[in-house]
Amino acid sequence: MASSPLPPPDTATARTRGAARELWRAVAGRVARTAAGVHRTWRRSLQFRVVTITLVASSVLVGGFAYLIADKITSILLESAKTDVKLRLESGADYATKQVALYNQPQEAQLQETIEGTVNYLAGGDPQQTSGVVVVITAQDFPVIQSRTAPAVDGVQRLISPELREAVADGNVASQIATGRLTGERTKYLAYGSPVPTRFGQIELYYLVPLARQDATAADARATVVATGVALVVLLGLLAALVTRLVVTPVRVAARTAQRLSAGLLDQRMVVNGEDDLALLAASFNQMATNLQRQILRLEEMSRLQRRFTSDVSHELRTPLTTVRMAADLIFAERDGFDPAVARSAELLQAELDRFEELLTDLLEISRFDAGFAMLDAEPTDLVPIVHRVVERLTGLAERVGVPIEVDLPEHEVIAEVDPRRVERVLRNLVGNAVEHGEGRPVVIRLGADETAVAITVRDHGVGLKPGEEKLVFNRFWRADPSRARQTGGTGLGLSISLEDARLHGGWLEAWGAPGQGAQFRLTLPARAGDRLTTSPLRLVPEDARLPYGGPGDAAPLTIGPAPGGALAIGPAPAREPDAAGAEVPS
Amino acid sequence: MRVRVVAGVLCGALATVAFTGCGIPERSEVQIDERREPATEAGSVSAWSKEPPSPSNSGTDSEAFVRDFLSAAAGEPDRAYDRVKQFVAPEFKSRMQDKRGSEVELTVVRLTDAPVITNNVDRSAAVTISVQQVGVLRADGRLVPPVSTETTYEFGLRSASPAGTADDGGGFYITDPPNLLLLSDTALRDYYEPQAVYFWNSDRTRLVPDQRYLPLTVPTERRLNEVVKWLVDGPSDWLSTGAVGLPDRTELINNATGGNGRWEVNLDMPGDDRTRADQFVTQLAWSLPDLDGKLELKVRNNSIVVADLAERRSRALYTLQEGPRRYCVYEGAVHPLEIAGEPGGTVPLDPGANRNVVSAGLARSGGKILAALVVTGSDGQRLSVGTGPDPVTAFKKGPVHTAIGRPVWLRAAGTEQPRGLVVAGGRLYRFDQNAQMTPIALNLPPAPVNAVAASLDGQRIAVVVGGLLYVAALNLAGGGVTVGPPRRVATSLTSISAVDWGDENRLIVAGSAGRPAIYEVSVDGAVQTPLKDDTGAKVTHLSTYPVNPTIPVPSGAFMYEANGVAYRGSPVEQIQRGEVGLVTPPPSGVRPGNPSAPFFLY
Repeated sequence: MASSPLPPPDTATARTRGAARELWRAVAGRVARTAAGVHRTWRRSLQFRVVTITLVASSVLVGGFAYLIADKITSILLESAKTDVKLRLESGADYATKQVALYNQPQEAQLQETIEGTVNYLAGGDPQQTSGVVVVITAQDFPVIQSRTAPAVDGVQRLISPELREAVADGNVASQIATGRLTGERTKYLAYGSPVPTRFGQIELYYLVPLARQDATAADARATVVATGVALVVLLGLLAALVTRLVVTPVRVAARTAQRLSAGLLDQRMVVNGEDDLALLAASFNQMATNLQRQILRLEEMSRLQRRFTSDVSHELRTPLTTVRMAADLIFAERDGFDPAVARSAELLQAELDRFEELLTDLLEISRFDAGFAMLDAEPTDLVPIVHRVVERLTGLAERVGVPIEVDLPEHEVIAEVDPRRVERVLRNLVGNAVEHGEGRPVVIRLGADETAVAITVRDHGVGLKPGEEKLVFNRFWRADPSRARQTGGTGLGLSISLEDARLHGGWLEAWGAPGQGAQFRLTLPARAGDRLTTSPLRLVPEDARLPYGGPGDAAPLTIGPAPGGALAIGPAPAREPDAAGAEVPS
Repeated sequence: MRVRVVAGVLCGALATVAFTGCGIPERSEVQIDERREPATEAGSVSAWSKEPPSPSNSGTDSEAFVRDFLSAAAGEPDRAYDRVKQFVAPEFKSRMQDKRGSEVELTVVRLTDAPVITNNVDRSAAVTISVQQVGVLRADGRLVPPVSTETTYEFGLRSASPAGTADDGGGFYITDPPNLLLLSDTALRDYYEPQAVYFWNSDRTRLVPDQRYLPLTVPTERRLNEVVKWLVDGPSDWLSTGAVGLPDRTELINNATGGNGRWEVNLDMPGDDRTRADQFVTQLAWSLPDLDGKLELKVRNNSIVVADLAERRSRALYTLQEGPRRYCVYEGAVHPLEIAGEPGGTVPLDPGANRNVVSAGLARSGGKILAALVVTGSDGQRLSVGTGPDPVTAFKKGPVHTAIGRPVWLRAAGTEQPRGLVVAGGRLYRFDQNAQMTPIALNLPPAPVNAVAASLDGQRIAVVVGGLLYVAALNLAGGGVTVGPPRRVATSLTSISAVDWGDENRLIVAGSAGRPAIYEVSVDGAVQTPLKDDTGAKVTHLSTYPVNPTIPVPSGAFMYEANGVAYRGSPVEQIQRGEVGLVTPPPSGVRPGNPSAPFFLY
């Protein structure tokens, strides 16, 4: 009582349910995987898509037509059988009517004989030669009259359904298809019944005609139609696959060729076969590739010529310049003996020659970059001394313009695989620019490093950059204000060269600026030469920079409201009057 | 998710439709095409009034109950036993063994006396009926000669009311009934209609009537069917010598049907004899004189003959040129009788031969006159036979006999070889145009032959042998005359002396019913009607003109001679001397003779 040897049925049910769930899960998983695979193929393969759509569409269409045709054939067969049987039935009913019209009462013995004779006569007399047609006369309303069947077979009652009996007993000529076994095989029969009026009431005549032949014909027709339909669908699928293949293959070739072209293999071309649309596509593609290649080569050539020209001009200018320089140096050294106005000219000549030399040097440097001759001479270098060196060198200038230089460097050394000459040049350029645009406010140099990268930012608090100028500053000979006269010895190429130096390291040189807030430049270099940069140890936007709308302040609430022109405006919420708020507090 | 479910459902439905929609279904709905008109009008109720009486019909009259009992079997044979058993006490019903279908036989009897009902003390009665066996009525309407020789039947009678109640209002029951179906001749007359059907004679030149009985309960529509069945079954046994039926194994396929002037008979007949089929239609046309319209005869569903029945009957059944003329023998010569309202005639005989005539038999045959005269000579009587156009001049004399009856010509023999029958010296002879007389053997117990008469068709004779009446068929093939097995005709007349044919199936018979009388008796003896109850004396000579459809005359055209006086009927009147034509007044003082041996020439 306390314990049962059998597990309670609930457990078994639960186990079964669990197993079923497992099975379902497995099946569902498999189905889902298959579906996912199919879906993937569907998305990727145009051919698969076209073939599938063709198969589905043609299946539906062909299936519909096949159904219609098979149905039509069947109904025609059935109709003709029905018409035949109906004609027989009508003449049979007429005959039977005449035969039984001689009798006034259902009890008459001769009536039974007459019914038997009639049935035999209508069935064709010779039971050996019947075509399977069974003729039955029943008398629903007169139990005294026995049903007669010719040829005598059993099971007729099962073939004549009660509904049919009722319909015929009601005085209707009615038919029904029924299936049953009369002679040997199970066969479909068309049971057709007609009332036979007599003098004493009504008896019923039935013809049971086997539909075996019609059934076989219908099955044959159906099989033929289905086979034809399947063949058609398969053919259409194959055709679609073939046609799609014809289209898809050149497209794939074109795609591959385009990929190669984009990868720089400009001499890749498609094979042109024939004169069709695909050939036109290939030819056009090839023409496009050729044109692109030509254009690219021309541009490259032009660029090369230009760079060469620059380099040549620089070199060519250097020789006369050296001579001029020597003469100028001489004049400069003797200026004290000149008329003050001439001495002033000698000084000017000396200064402009300095600038000229600088410009030539920068141009040569640039042309070296352009020509791809710039080589990185990387070695593990401590950046801190470099920063110090640059600051020292520029201290004089800074003092002259009244700009203090602040340096924020780590305590320890910052080692990176860099070219120290180039890094120094970049820093010199950035700090020089910051001092130049410092407007008397301090310039801050900050050095940061992490495991993968080192970064140096140079911050000034001058007029800053207008939006969009962050990119322009790196252009060659670019000026923020073209009308402004160049005061210092900037050639307009410094930032371009710095950018090229940074790139040569695989590093970044970026600029930030805002009007009235000054600007900040950040140089980020990989700690090991050849590494890819992902982040920078220092921020590009300085911490003290204000947001464009003034910033939210110290966690002050923001307000979002309508702005002119249907836009949304975001700004600081109006401050509450604390007193007013306090006054509202009930005392 | 829903899209997938919908798609799945759609696919499933499509597949189901595709597999079940095409092809012939296992079972379909009942499809109603049209409505047929309800049954035709109910059966003709009039036929049912001819049903035999039920047991309650007679009330408390026990004799009427017995008579009703003897009528109960009348009607359609299928239910004859049921009807009779209604009269029989329940405890005796099992005694009567039912027969079915064609086995049903009705024993037709003629009550010779009223039933004798002897009441017992226990409210029951013993009934004795004295009968004359008339024949056995078979299911196919034939009345065949009786097999039983019983002259009385005895059975019991008891009240149908339970024992102890006094009144007889509940009717009666027959107890201890005879194990057969009795039918009185009056019931046969009341509930049956005699129907003549026609069969072809052996050489298929003439139609021979055959007598059948059709219950009055058979509706008109079925009459054709019954008659066709009779014709298919062949003639009665006694006629089979002179008449033939359809080929063997001929059968009627189902029923002969029709109505509204269109009739259809479907036979299964061996061979494809169109002439036979055509002749069969003629048979049918004459056998059903009331049936008009087209008849289609099919042999195994193939339409062979379509004929108008009335048109078939327009051809004469018998070869009769003109109506009957009455003659008699007066003063030893044949004289015409001049009856008021009837055409007179001349004597178609050469006056030289028309002498010493005792009796004569004349007949027309194809424009010729067949004359057979019985003339007296010094040594006895002889037959003088002459044939030829009117008047007949050449006569040949036959052998001498002591007494020769009236000679009769056989009309079926034709003109080429005319033959006749005559009774001479108690024997039956046939004679030819040369007056050669050949005795004919009758398959009967030896007895003197009293009289002979030939029917209008010439294939049947009625013969009186030893005072008993017989009919027999003739076979005239090969120039001879063969008489088939005679059939006794049951009649209540005894000592029959003369006979002739009153119509196709009736005989006019003179005999004794206590007193000499003339009866009309059907050819099977079932029906007899007195024509003259008392002729006063034995009829020695009887001649008729048979009622026939070819040249009809008022019925009852018969003449007879009794006690030397000639009479004509009916009504029966004596033939006056003044009615004899072409008579030269006798010399005065000589007592004029009486007209005798009257006969008809037709």
